[in-house]
Amino acid sequence: MEPAKILIVDDEEHIRLLFKEELEDDGYAVELASNGVEALEKFRGSQYDLVVLDIKMPGMDGIQALTEIKKINKDQPVILCSAYGEFKQDFASWASDGYIVKSADTRELKETIKRILAA
Amino acid sequence: MPHSIVKPQMSMDSVNILGKVIEISHSNLEIASRIEAILNMLAHDMRFEEAILYTLDKDKRLTCRFAARPSRLFENLNRYRCHVGEGVVGTVAQKRAPQFFTSRDVPPRFGCLFYANLDGLTDRFRVFSFLPLSDDSFIYGVLLLCSSSKDAILDSDKIILSIIAREMGGILRTYDLLLSSKKRISELATLSELGRVLTSSTEPHLLLQNIASISARSSNAAFITIKLDHSFIRLESQRFTFGEIDPAIETPLRELESECLRVRKATALADQPPGSAPEGPRFALYCAPILSRERTLGTITLCRKGEQHQLSIEEDDQYLVSAVANYISSGLETAFLNLKLRDVLKELGDAQKRVIEHEKLRSLGEMTANIAHEIRNPLVIIGGFTKRLAKQVQLDEKDNRYVEIIVGEVARLETILDEVLNYVKDVPLLLERCNLNVVLDEILYLLTPDKNWERVSVTKRYAQDLPSIVCDVNQIKQVFINIVLNALQAMAGTGTMVLRTEQVFRQGREFIAVSVSDTGGGIDPSALDNIFNPFFTTKEKGSGLGLPISNKIVMHHSGHIEVRNVAGEGVTFIVYLPLNNQRPTKEG
Repeated sequence: MEPAKILIVDDEEHIRLLFKEELEDDGYAVELASNGVEALEKFRGSQYDLVVLDIKMPGMDGIQALTEIKKINKDQPVILCSAYGEFKQDFASWASDGYIVKSADTRELKETIKRILAA
Repeated sequence: MPHSIVKPQMSMDSVNILGKVIEISHSNLEIASRIEAILNMLAHDMRFEEAILYTLDKDKRLTCRFAARPSRLFENLNRYRCHVGEGVVGTVAQKRAPQFFTSRDVPPRFGCLFYANLDGLTDRFRVFSFLPLSDDSFIYGVLLLCSSSKDAILDSDKIILSIIAREMGGILRTYDLLLSSKKRISELATLSELGRVLTSSTEPHLLLQNIASISARSSNAAFITIKLDHSFIRLESQRFTFGEIDPAIETPLRELESECLRVRKATALADQPPGSAPEGPRFALYCAPILSRERTLGTITLCRKGEQHQLSIEEDDQYLVSAVANYISSGLETAFLNLKLRDVLKELGDAQKRVIEHEKLRSLGEMTANIAHEIRNPLVIIGGFTKRLAKQVQLDEKDNRYVEIIVGEVARLETILDEVLNYVKDVPLLLERCNLNVVLDEILYLLTPDKNWERVSVTKRYAQDLPSIVCDVNQIKQVFINIVLNALQAMAGTGTMVLRTEQVFRQGREFIAVSVSDTGGGIDPSALDNIFNPFFTTKEKGSGLGLPISNKIVMHHSGHIEVRNVAGEGVTFIVYLPLNNQRPTKEG
């Protein structure tokens, strides 16, 4: 069985690296993008089981990227993952499937991914 | 023979007497002593056993006031007053002409002279003289002289007596002037005292209490009571009284006050009103309205009590009451303007403080949020890779411990960031209806089982029927938990905490005020200005965010927090939450 394919979008190189390695440890196939524009290019060229989007990014931010992705495929599962905790209450209104505050403890990220992929 | 005028001869005795009279009348003796000395002299030197002086009051009634010596005749005459024109005394006063009688030529109307059958007291006298005491313009009294040893009054005596009478008139005139100037001085003193009160008092209740006391003391009234109309203003009390209101007078007083309010004119009630108990106290009331330009603010009433029949309020009192009513009206207007001004200034100052506070918090909040976000990414990277490193490399126990420390500290920093961001973010309110009495009870239930607070006594002074308010219950709970915990911690285990709830009206709005008082020694005045600043704390383990967060939550609810600090005793936090929050409820 093919591993689930996940696109991680974050402007911080080391965050991308950390999440990639953590998720690959769990057997996911991980691809990376450093901003919203790059993420959309990748998304148009390929299919992903899940997209993990940072919110605050230069160029196109995570919320804009989320809107564009949902325009292309409204059923595409997307998780917002941000240093900002204060938008947590609003994620549903942006049609995001989950919201995680970034943490060195990646358990919440992993559990959310698992829950969404299982659905 | 040329027409000659027969001049009565004046003896040396007469000259001596006149000399003495003039000496007495220009002496520096008290007025009453001068009169008595002259009366005594008339009795001794001119052999009048009775020398009695009537004085005229401003109601034109004659009363005998002085006598050469105490006598039954004087005592009997003293009981009655006669009007000018009435009887011999009244006629002499009216015509300002002396009358002399001997017992042989007493006219028939002499009988009514003394208003009673005094034959037994006057039988022995053979001559009677009635002399008007007057100057060129006024009559001041009448002098009555009776003698049993004279057969007739000689013409020379008549002249001397007329001169003496004129001299005594002069003394009475001085007496009159003295009395009226004393009265004017006392009136002026009263008015100036009232003026002083009006310019010094700003509190309406103090002003009114002072006015009642000054005017009652100066007029020597049984009481003076000022009653303000409810429709005009609501003070703690609507009545200000100096003196004691006899319970028997209460009902007629209230009736008179309502009548006065109705007709907007001064109204009097004299003696006993019809239907009152005949054995009740005799009193007279005079009630004047306190009028402003458009309305009646209330009434002021003066009461006199006494034994005599036909007790009435004299003109002076009426003048005083009306003058004081005018003073009160202008005084109240000034006092209320002052109060309003003071409130507005305070409100302005508070609003300014709140704006500055808000602005400070906002800019600080923005800065803090930015820093917190910038720190979070590096933290996640440090912590995340440390964990990965520990997973992949076999470490000895010591190194493993180091890794645990790094990971633990990163987790702690993340928690701090959460707390800071929790403070600065504007969490939308989840509004619902709740009763703050219930909220406080829930908090007490949560906090007080703690062993640390076992010896703190908690007093609840909740308003019954406290209206419920619309608020974010969880956030408001957080506010009161913070404040109650602060109070408990301040008391270090022993003391009294008082929780009070009430509905208050402030700055034109209805609020629920919840106050939490402790006996924990209060806040150091130098720290007071900082207690709402984030990260300021006086506690060893405090985050300095409890009160700032509470303040922010209350401000989001359009309320505010007031601190009343008594250094060395304790502190009271009062949270004001608006009763009618315009924000929508959860349901709607």
